[in-house]
Amino acid sequence: MEQLAVNFIDLTTANVLSLFVIGFIGGLVSGFIGSGGAFVLTPAMMTMGVSGVVAVASNMCHKFPKALVGAYKRYGYGHVDIKLGLVMAATASIGVWVGADIQQQIKVNYGEAGSNLYVSLSFVIVLTIVGSYVLRDAIKIFRSGDMHAEDRTSRLAAWVQAVEIPGTMMHFKTANVRVSVLFTIPLGFATGMLAATIAVGGFIGVPGMMYVLGAPALVASATELVIAFVMGLGGSIKYALHGLIDIRLTLILLAGSLFGIQLGAIGTTFVKPYLIKVVMAAIMLIVAVSRALVVPVYLTELGKLGLSSDTTAVLGHASFAFLVLALCTGGIIISGAMLHGHRRIVRTREEQPEAVAE
Amino acid sequence: MANNKPYAGLIVSGLISGALYLALYLFHHEIMAAFTRTDGWYPGLPVATAFAFSFAHGAFTGYFWEVLGITARSRG
Repeated sequence: MEQLAVNFIDLTTANVLSLFVIGFIGGLVSGFIGSGGAFVLTPAMMTMGVSGVVAVASNMCHKFPKALVGAYKRYGYGHVDIKLGLVMAATASIGVWVGADIQQQIKVNYGEAGSNLYVSLSFVIVLTIVGSYVLRDAIKIFRSGDMHAEDRTSRLAAWVQAVEIPGTMMHFKTANVRVSVLFTIPLGFATGMLAATIAVGGFIGVPGMMYVLGAPALVASATELVIAFVMGLGGSIKYALHGLIDIRLTLILLAGSLFGIQLGAIGTTFVKPYLIKVVMAAIMLIVAVSRALVVPVYLTELGKLGLSSDTTAVLGHASFAFLVLALCTGGIIISGAMLHGHRRIVRTREEQPEAVAE
Repeated sequence: MANNKPYAGLIVSGLISGALYLALYLFHHEIMAAFTRTDGWYPGLPVATAFAFSFAHGAFTGYFWEVLGITARSRG
C-alpha cells in the first residue's frame, strides 16, 4: 500500500485541551444516544489545520474503542442486543463501502465543492426528516403525560413484526422483537451509507431500530454502539493501511471521550426513556441548520451562486458555531437530566427508605 | 458503602493509563514515524494501540466515576 503525502500538525496546549473537551462532550452524547459527537470532531480538527482525510481517519480510529467501552458498559445494564448489532453491522459495512464509493465518484466528477455540497445536502435532508419525526414522537409522549412508559411500538414496526417470511425470521432477545432479517438489510445499509457520508450512521440506525423494527429506545441507542464499533474498526484498518491516522489526535480524543461515554452510559439508567429521543432530535435538527448554512457557500464555489467572500466566511463560522451548539445542547440536556434523576432518587430514598432498599 | 470504593483499581489503572500517555508524549516523534508507515505489519500499530488505550484508560475512567459516587441505578 502506498503512503500518501500528508502533513501532520504540531499540537499546541490549546489544541490538546480543545480536543479533550470536545472528546468528552462527544463521548457523553455517544454513551447516551449511541452516536453523535463525530460530526463536530472532524470539522473541529480541520479548523486546527489538520487535513480533512487525516481528521476523518483519526476520528474513526477513536470511535471504535470508544464504542467498545460504551457497549461493554451498557451491556452490563442489559441494554445491548449483540445479535441485532452484528446483523445490522453486516449490511452497514456494505453500506459504508458503497457510500465511500459514491463519495469518491462525486469528488472525481464535481470536485471538492461538489462533494461537500452532497455531504451537506445529505445532512440537511436526512436530519430534518428523521429529526422531526423523532421530535414529534418525543412531544407526543410528553403530552400524553406517561413519560415513564416503555416505548410504544410504532404502526410501521407493528406491521414489520407481523410480516412472516419463512426461513428469514429472527428473534432478538434483548430488543424483544421477532422480525424478518430482510428488514434489517436496508436499515443496516442506510446506516453504513450515512456513516460513510456524514460520519454519524446512528442518526439512521437508532431511529430505524426504534421505529421500523420496534426496539426500545434504550436498546436501540446501546445496540448502535456495536454497529459503530464494527464500522469504526473496519474503517480504521482501511485508513491505517494508507498511513493516515494521527495517533496523537486519536488518543487525546480518547482521553476525553472515555470519561464522557462512561458518564453518558450511566446517565441512561437515571432518565426516562423518552429523553433519549429528545436529545437525539435536538442534536439532529441543530446540526441540520448548521449544514443548511453552508449549502450556499458550496453553491458559490460551484459557480451557481454569487456570494461575496465575506458572506461565505460568516456562513462558515455560523455553521461551525451551530455544530458546537448542537453538541453542547446534548451535553446540557443529558447533564441536567442526570442531576434531576439523581435528586429524584435521593428524595425517594429519604421519603421511602424501604422502597429503595428493594 | 464508602469502604467498597475501588481505590486500588483506580490507582493501578490510573498509573497504567498515565504511563501510556507519558510514553506518547515523550516519544511522539518516533511513534508518529512508525505509526504512519504502510509496509509490513506497521498499519496494525494504530489499531492495536487504540485497543490498548481503551482497556487501560477505559478501566481508569470507569473507576474514576465510581470513586466519585456516580454509578448507575441498580435497575437500568
